[in-house]
Amino acid sequence: MLVIENLVKKYGRFTAVDGLSLEIGPGHCYGFVGPNGAGKTTTMKIVAGLLRPTAGKVRVAGIDVVENPREAKAKIGYMPDFFGVYDNLKVSEYMEFYCGLYGVEYRKRAVITDQLLELVNLTDKKDAYVDTLSRGMKQRLCLARSLIHDPDLLILDEPASGLDPRARIDMKEILKELRNMGKTILISSHILPELSEMCTSIGIIEKGKMVITGTVAEIVRKISQKRTLKIKVLGDTEPAVRLLQEQVTVGSITVGNEHIEVEFEGDNNQMADILRSLVKGGIPVISFGEMEGSLENIFMQVTGGAAALENQSGN
Amino acid sequence: MKINPVIEKELRIKMRGWRSPALLAVYLAILGLVIFFGFFENIFDIGYSFRTFNPRTAYNVYNALASFQLVLLTLIVPAVTAGAISGERERQTLDLMLCTNFSPLSIIIGKIAVSIAQIMLLIVASMPILGTVFLFGGVRITDLLLLIAYYLATALMVASIGIFFSTLFKKTSVANILTYLTLMFLHFGTLVLFAFYVRVTMDPVNFTRPTFNEALAFLFANPMFGFSYLLEGPSGGGTILSLFTMVLSYGAGNAPVVPPWVANMIFDVVVAAVLIPLSARLLRRP
Repeated sequence: MLVIENLVKKYGRFTAVDGLSLEIGPGHCYGFVGPNGAGKTTTMKIVAGLLRPTAGKVRVAGIDVVENPREAKAKIGYMPDFFGVYDNLKVSEYMEFYCGLYGVEYRKRAVITDQLLELVNLTDKKDAYVDTLSRGMKQRLCLARSLIHDPDLLILDEPASGLDPRARIDMKEILKELRNMGKTILISSHILPELSEMCTSIGIIEKGKMVITGTVAEIVRKISQKRTLKIKVLGDTEPAVRLLQEQVTVGSITVGNEHIEVEFEGDNNQMADILRSLVKGGIPVISFGEMEGSLENIFMQVTGGAAALENQSGN
Repeated sequence: MKINPVIEKELRIKMRGWRSPALLAVYLAILGLVIFFGFFENIFDIGYSFRTFNPRTAYNVYNALASFQLVLLTLIVPAVTAGAISGERERQTLDLMLCTNFSPLSIIIGKIAVSIAQIMLLIVASMPILGTVFLFGGVRITDLLLLIAYYLATALMVASIGIFFSTLFKKTSVANILTYLTLMFLHFGTLVLFAFYVRVTMDPVNFTRPTFNEALAFLFANPMFGFSYLLEGPSGGGTILSLFTMVLSYGAGNAPVVPPWVANMIFDVVVAAVLIPLSARLLRRP
């Protein structure tokens, strides 16, 4: 659905995006992670046809966004990180204005507006003035606006930024709904655990370059060869710990109140061997599984590593 | 037929609430008072000097109101258009418009149409007041229609300059300043340049006067020149220049190639035809 090849964007001497490439298949959700100023917004603006790249190609559903911007824009729904609204305009009028910009016929505008406001839970605010809405509601309205022309690809730049926890959950639910509708989504966020939950793949970008990309599990594996197992047993943990210590693939063991956390180096077969030996040894195991890698930790590790390298070279 | 959504939205925002009708009412009240006092003064004259009603009074009032509206147009249209694009940028709504497949040219045309519609609302609403002069003669309906056409052309030119600077510069304040400076140059700078030309070329012994065509060569871009000619005929052109104690020779053989108001209107249309596509191009290529 989206193919970016060697994308470069320079502002004078400053390079905001430096040879970035990525590919997102139809129906996939790609999380774009990076510290502020890493080039996420610039990349997204180029894809949305709002900035011209210095070099490189961007194709949406096979259409080049630079050569055929109007055709490409018809396929893209864009929600910027910061946006304003108009004073003196009601929610329904706001939606109908953008329906007009997207070339939606008059007779269809009211229906589309109602459907989208229902999707983002703003039906009861239809007659409210847009400038009186809360930040969370404005974000949802902006999302509804980006869906007016039923785009295949959604570009969401920090859709949850500045929202309170309740509004974040609402936004997350809507995004899940959009995924179920088969939309391809490119999303950037600082709420990293949220990205790991909903994205099929993520890419970590820093200083305009893609540092690492892949599924969350792949990235965890690439960065840290060690996997962590979380085991819960009934009663005394001591026999279980003894048995685990006998396993060659097991590293350090931490015993918590309810769980035993085990550092493990090996593949899935070896993981199964550990469970088998615990059960054979008569340990009452009630749960056994691999802990999801914390994206936050990975992010800090990847970007922190780059920062440390920079500090070293600076010194 | 689809209405440009930018026009639809802007007019809805601007005409909502009590402000616009109140502004219009105050404006018309002021014009009405000017007309009233203009005629009242004449009636006062009759009482004391036993003169008959002087039709020139009606004509003078008409000229004063028509000039006042041109000044108003030159002040209001830049204020609206110089913030049209930069204001959207400052409000962070421009990207939301540009990421749709609506063409930048249509956005620019919509913004210009809205600014002209705003000023034309004031002008058209004032037509019945200006029309009171028909009671006394001296002004034909074609004069009034020509005046509206002149206002439209001038508003188009002013709006194109405003929108061009608004697209070129990120800040509304910069766009505003440059638009007003450009208009000051067109109104007064061209006059100064012509005055300078006359000083340099005038024969001090024979006191040769510049011809109308010489004036036109400098003042084709000056909205005041064509406007004064439109109101007063050839002597109107002289009225403006008399500010600089210049008198044109407009006798036989010195008739202007085209009436100055036609030259001005052609200039207006050319400026719009150049600046509107250029602004759309600037908007398209960030």
